[in-house]
Amino acid sequence: MTTQDEIIEAQQVPLSRRGFLELMGKSVACAGVVAGAVGAGSAIGATQSGNGKHAYQQNDQQFAEAVNDPPKIPEYNWNDHQWAMGVDTTRCIGCLRCMEACKMENSVQMDANHHRTWVERYVYLEGSDTALVDSQADPQNIAFAGSETKFRFDNRYKDKKVDKAFFVAKLCNQCEHPSCVEVCPTGATFKSKDGPVLIDTTYCIGCQYCVQACPYGARSFNESRGTAEKCNWCYHRITKGLNPACVEVCPTGSRIFGDRNDPDSPVSVFIRNNHVQVLKPEMGNAPNVFYVGLDKEVV
Amino acid sequence: MPKHISRLLILVVVFAAVAFTAKKVLTPATFYQYGHYRGAAVAEIASKVPKLQGSASCQSCHKAVYAEWSAGIHRKSTKDNVIQGLVVKNGPGCEVCHTGPAGNHPSREAMPLSLEDRVTTITHKHIAHPADVPGRNLMLAANDMSSLCLNCHEKLAARPKTQPQIEVASHSGKELCTACHNPHSPMIDFAAVPRPPYDPVTGKLVAVSAMKAGDAGAGRSVAAACASCHGNAGMSVNPVWPNLAGQHANYLVNSLEAFKSGTRRNDMMSAMAAGLSDADMRNVAAYFAKSRCGVTGGDKDKAKLGESRVAEAGCAACHSAGGIRGKGPAGISASQSWPNLAGQNAEYLAVSLRAFKDGTRSHPVMSSVAKTLSDADIDNVSAYFASVSCQ
Repeated sequence: MTTQDEIIEAQQVPLSRRGFLELMGKSVACAGVVAGAVGAGSAIGATQSGNGKHAYQQNDQQFAEAVNDPPKIPEYNWNDHQWAMGVDTTRCIGCLRCMEACKMENSVQMDANHHRTWVERYVYLEGSDTALVDSQADPQNIAFAGSETKFRFDNRYKDKKVDKAFFVAKLCNQCEHPSCVEVCPTGATFKSKDGPVLIDTTYCIGCQYCVQACPYGARSFNESRGTAEKCNWCYHRITKGLNPACVEVCPTGSRIFGDRNDPDSPVSVFIRNNHVQVLKPEMGNAPNVFYVGLDKEVV
Repeated sequence: MPKHISRLLILVVVFAAVAFTAKKVLTPATFYQYGHYRGAAVAEIASKVPKLQGSASCQSCHKAVYAEWSAGIHRKSTKDNVIQGLVVKNGPGCEVCHTGPAGNHPSREAMPLSLEDRVTTITHKHIAHPADVPGRNLMLAANDMSSLCLNCHEKLAARPKTQPQIEVASHSGKELCTACHNPHSPMIDFAAVPRPPYDPVTGKLVAVSAMKAGDAGAGRSVAAACASCHGNAGMSVNPVWPNLAGQHANYLVNSLEAFKSGTRRNDMMSAMAAGLSDADMRNVAAYFAKSRCGVTGGDKDKAKLGESRVAEAGCAACHSAGGIRGKGPAGISASQSWPNLAGQNAEYLAVSLRAFKDGTRSHPVMSSVAKTLSDADIDNVSAYFASVSCQ
């Protein structure tokens, strides 16, 4: 019998320090076992799904619902399509018509810093191994364009010796494992079964956690609506058999869109006949926008 | 159990009850249907009405222009342009340059807006997004057109070499693109259009605006030969022949060169122009440009009809200094290469328009514009411009 035990007996304290610590250790161990069992169980449950691919964070029951009771969109069944997009940077001329068309189609705020899609310019000057990067939101370019509602790349390299230069168009990659969906606290953003990651603006509380989480910077905050905003491949157009607005207006055919379920769709042909890459593959998001002509400096 | 513990437990139980009930009541029925989101949102998002309509939607009303565009390089007439197995999407459609979705295009309202009339939505939540502004007419003014063309065609280091690009200073200077290029079908058929002058020393094209101004004093003696038809002060003796007084010098030079080279045909003028040197042309043009213009007037009733037809046809886009939207005087052209129409002889204007219409005279833009005018229209608009003040 230790001195402590004697004291405890004398004072009639119900639980000693040692006893308490023992109790804690046992509780943690039990909780760990339970959590592990639950986790393993759900993981097994997920992989033992039936046919087809679950959307991100979709369990079996929900997957069955999605297959058997799709959303009521006229003349459209989301089980029939897997949308994807291609960008050919060797064709892009940086005219920014895509950005303008997107703003018109989706009522995006007009100034150059609000966008669902944008274009970046990479310029290697002679003798340099790193690129100078600017986009239409660069203040010099905004000044060159002349007004808040016009978008243009300026001619700042006119008198410089340029070794290599090109444009890269970017937009939401509608990832297979979207970081933004992972972090959304309310369930306002989600991956739909046919590919695009959508935003339910009635549920978005504007916390902007998703804006932070996206590794591609594709999401932004729309102050006038108070919700997050991003490209959704013009979901309201593709469900009607149209192309997204940016694809529709691109004058050089730099943006390609289509259904990967159809081997003859433009995007399937594009992916098959080209060596395609994605942005930041190391992030593990598995994006669905496939690029041709990505240079080492492009992130 | 001590009171404070039991109270705490009661609070926890009450809170839990409220929370669970609230969650059941407030969570919409379709939440968790397909995942951690409101399932009904998908159909809602898909139900939005598309705004961009595609170029084919413009065809039903704008047949002539659509046909021109379809045949031209901006559309790429080879439909199946296959590169690496991919059918290449064709060039800019209507909504690229006439920026803004055709979905808001009114039926026949004439409330033209240029690109400048966009409204920002940065700070003012109550201002409609420009795409939603009703009554937008998508016609462009002449000065808009050049900055728009350069948006794609200005030489930038990052543009692929396959894109046709120009350096503005050496290509056109301050000249507007539409002086030579029809925006709907921009490839120039040089046989049909007066070719801009070459600098004989460098062999490079000389932008029209870079041409040296002529000497009006020297031009006076050259003009003596013109007086028998075009009058002493440049006001014609015959209404079929144009007044030259107050006309843009560049336009006069272009015309004389066209007569000399044969791209513009008139037996009388070809003979006259053959005898003129480049310097002579510049001088006589400067002389007439400095002369006082006059208004010949036209039939009042026809002029009234012509006024509304002109507003419809958008002549002001080029033939008014302020463009369609601007407050510039009617009939005074925006570019030095385009003729002033104000006060010009109605008969001469009618003859010219008919020549454009039937093809005896050719111009990248005027040829297609004239085809949209009926014979009555031609008389009316000629009468209108003939009565407009030329100051």
